[in-house]
Amino acid sequence: MGAIFRVLLYLYPQRHRELLGAEMQAVFEQGAQEHRLLGPSQYLRFVLLEVGGLVLHAAIAQFANATHRGYLENQVNGTLAPPQDLPDEVIEAQNRVAVNLNQLLLAISHHQFVQARFYSNEERKARENLRQMQEKYGIGDPQPLP
Amino acid sequence: MRHVARRPAIEHPKPLTEPVLLILMSLAAQPRHGYALIKDIETLSRHRVRLSTGTLYGALRRLLDEGWIERFEQEDTSRDKQAYRLTSEGRRQLELELDRFRELSRAGFARLRLGDA
Repeated sequence: MGAIFRVLLYLYPQRHRELLGAEMQAVFEQGAQEHRLLGPSQYLRFVLLEVGGLVLHAAIAQFANATHRGYLENQVNGTLAPPQDLPDEVIEAQNRVAVNLNQLLLAISHHQFVQARFYSNEERKARENLRQMQEKYGIGDPQPLP
Repeated sequence: MRHVARRPAIEHPKPLTEPVLLILMSLAAQPRHGYALIKDIETLSRHRVRLSTGTLYGALRRLLDEGWIERFEQEDTSRDKQAYRLTSEGRRQLELELDRFRELSRAGFARLRLGDA
């Protein structure tokens, strides 16, 4: 199960993985060890909750990464990202990534996995488009795309 | 080029999410590493809340970004067992939130007494 968890960590943005990936893996393995002793049903419940939580929060992290907003700026303080001058094409590409990620999150939260797969593909295309726009305008991404 | 306007800072921040509040409460007493936080939060919430690894580290990352917590250097710290502690800003935010709860519960009990009368 540890190997699957390690693979799922690749859903997170690279920066998050580098900073916290090893710790997350260690915490998961400690929890798995504890729940394995409680019996198969407890262990299964633990694994399902862990995988669900990981996928959901990876999607949230990708969303925050794509929109360049601090997490707490979105969730606690309610302020916008710092002002920045960007070409319209880049802003549009960023918005497209954000919209698709938002739809992906909604689909996951409603257990609509066909739609989730569709928006996941759309988000990947939008992200590639954003990368091309950033290359075109020579914009360095402070939080590199995964 | 388009200029993105900054919205004025909000004086009264939105309420904290439950995981964020519980993490701040847990770290208020002492620094803890990830798994110790999960266990302490279970105890704090009387086994009502068990944070998943994704939820915990999503919240920790947000709190680190905001400067409300910091990584705490310990002698036996390894890369996969890092401890965290509250910063003074984190402590201040926790106090603000607990004050908000106190005000709310005071108002709630007052309404209950009115209903009983």
